[in-house]
Amino acid sequence: MLALLSSLGAATPWLLWCLPVALLPLALSVARRNALPSIAAVPEDPLSAGLRIVLTAAGMLAVGGLILALAGPYRAGERVTRTGIGAQVSMLIDRSGSMNETFAGRQPSGAEESKAAASRRILRDFVGERVHDQFAVTAFSTAPMLVVPMTDRHAAVRAAISAIDRPGLDYTNVARGLGMALSQFGPGVPGVSRALLLVSDGAAVIDPRIQAQLRAEFARVRPNLYWLFLRTKGSPSISDKPAGEDTPQAAPERHLDLFFKSLGVPYRAFEAEGAEAVASAVRQIEALERDPIPYTEERPRRDLTGWAYGAAALGLLLLVLAKLAEADLGRRPVQAAPAAERAPEPARDAAPRTAAA
Amino acid sequence: MSGPEDGADILYWPRWRPGGHRVGAHRGRDAGGLGTFRDQVAFLRLPDARRIDLRASLRDPFEGVVVRRFETRTPVETWALVDLSASMRFQGRADRLGLAQAFCAALARSATRIGDGFGLIGCDAALREAFTLPATRHRAAAQAAVARLGEATCDGRGAEGLLEAARRLAGRPKLVFLVSDFRWPQALIEAVFAALALHDVTPVLLADAAEDEGLPAWGLAELDDLEGAGRRLVFLRPSLRRRWIAREAERVEALRRICAPFARPPFRLADRFDAEALSRHLMTT
Repeated sequence: MLALLSSLGAATPWLLWCLPVALLPLALSVARRNALPSIAAVPEDPLSAGLRIVLTAAGMLAVGGLILALAGPYRAGERVTRTGIGAQVSMLIDRSGSMNETFAGRQPSGAEESKAAASRRILRDFVGERVHDQFAVTAFSTAPMLVVPMTDRHAAVRAAISAIDRPGLDYTNVARGLGMALSQFGPGVPGVSRALLLVSDGAAVIDPRIQAQLRAEFARVRPNLYWLFLRTKGSPSISDKPAGEDTPQAAPERHLDLFFKSLGVPYRAFEAEGAEAVASAVRQIEALERDPIPYTEERPRRDLTGWAYGAAALGLLLLVLAKLAEADLGRRPVQAAPAAERAPEPARDAAPRTAAA
Repeated sequence: MSGPEDGADILYWPRWRPGGHRVGAHRGRDAGGLGTFRDQVAFLRLPDARRIDLRASLRDPFEGVVVRRFETRTPVETWALVDLSASMRFQGRADRLGLAQAFCAALARSATRIGDGFGLIGCDAALREAFTLPATRHRAAAQAAVARLGEATCDGRGAEGLLEAARRLAGRPKLVFLVSDFRWPQALIEAVFAALALHDVTPVLLADAAEDEGLPAWGLAELDDLEGAGRRLVFLRPSLRRRWIAREAERVEALRRICAPFARPPFRLADRFDAEALSRHLMTT
């Protein structure tokens, strides 16, 4: 109750100082007064007593409602925290130039779709499957780009995902992207399932110094890490050892995978060589992330002026009805009372008063 | 002051034989010189040689001398005791105070015309000296006092001053008209009538059709007590109207019951003052 009161407000609060005027019907009555020598002459009548209370309340409602309506009442917007099933998913999507190519490594033509378009289609379905999932979208190429912060507005997330098949540019700098994607989780709520979904078609070398920072971040946030590796046909797999020297520069994918495995967080890598593989990977991720999650619901500010006017109208309606039902007690104020006495006497009684004796 | 002269006189007939030596219009208690023949007494009882009844004396087998006696004609004092409490401000079909004033004017005229004194006492919770007139046969003085009554402001609550007025009326019996709407506590009504028991009292009950029979059958009405007993909203409907009228009738009946041992039955003065109706009432009760 108190919480409800505190969420109420008025647009012009100073008008509320006029509210005591609403007590006026307690002292004044809407009906015309009929003076009566003694009120005790009127029989007791519970119905009339009830009507009096109703009409007084109607008067107070009418005046109070009008003042309230003029003050412009509203219920302030608020955030309500609830618990649902879902997860916080931070998507990190590769926007490097190679995402524009098909899984076959060509520029898309005709019915073929690029890797970006395929991942867009599938990820879009992923968003919105469960109502209470929260998503953040980060894109990265050379530099990371914050697209959508962590939110449960799925329409915004879907719009962000729709934009990822815009032609990508530049190279793959996964380290800074990871840093930003991790920062999307924000201060943690205990017990929330968090997932970091990295969608990329390649990898890059992570600087050892940055590696240490990332390790610390991962240890703090502890997300489940999923790497959806969109592998171009013919390019090396995650697990392939290079023929020559096994250095990060020679096989960045393999070393990124190794780095992820060494982080100590739950980690799975999906190697997808086509749209179907991507879809099945996403379904697996979806199935894995099932935990209760607190989510906030935004309730917008609500204007209560209509209700106030409605209440005032109800009160006024009652008052008007009472006014229409008002009775005239048949009073015709007689100004010249002696005239009434004088008029009907036709002849003066001239007889001497001996008759009385 | 030509107006009040036009109305019919109030004819009244005192219930008792007034005493006193002044000459008036009513049959007196005492036997005196002139007037209506009353009886014959022995000469020794009334040694007045001027009124020896020769025929009766000759007829007397015991040869006694008989003297005629005649009734004296004696005046009475009429008093109007007017309740000036706030409920007299009521205006229904007629102005209540105006009605009382019309009655007093007619009484003053009728009384002074036949040589009776007219006295006026106005009271609310206390006696109001401004509206008080000692009994006088002076017609102009009486009419002036009655005219003053019309300017009275009625805002007192209760009519306890009538007890004080009753003390003022102590002495020889008088013809007293108690003009009020009698919306008093029952105890006060009893006390006032008991205090006036010595006199020939006629309660004049001021009523108004707007108070009972003239009530509408349906409607809402906000009623305001003139004596400050509060406001009340009443939803009038036929059943309530019936109850209301029955209650009023019960009140009048209660008043009749209370005043029966002390006074004449109340005269209901409603809407319009009719001197002939009051005369009929006074001659038949």
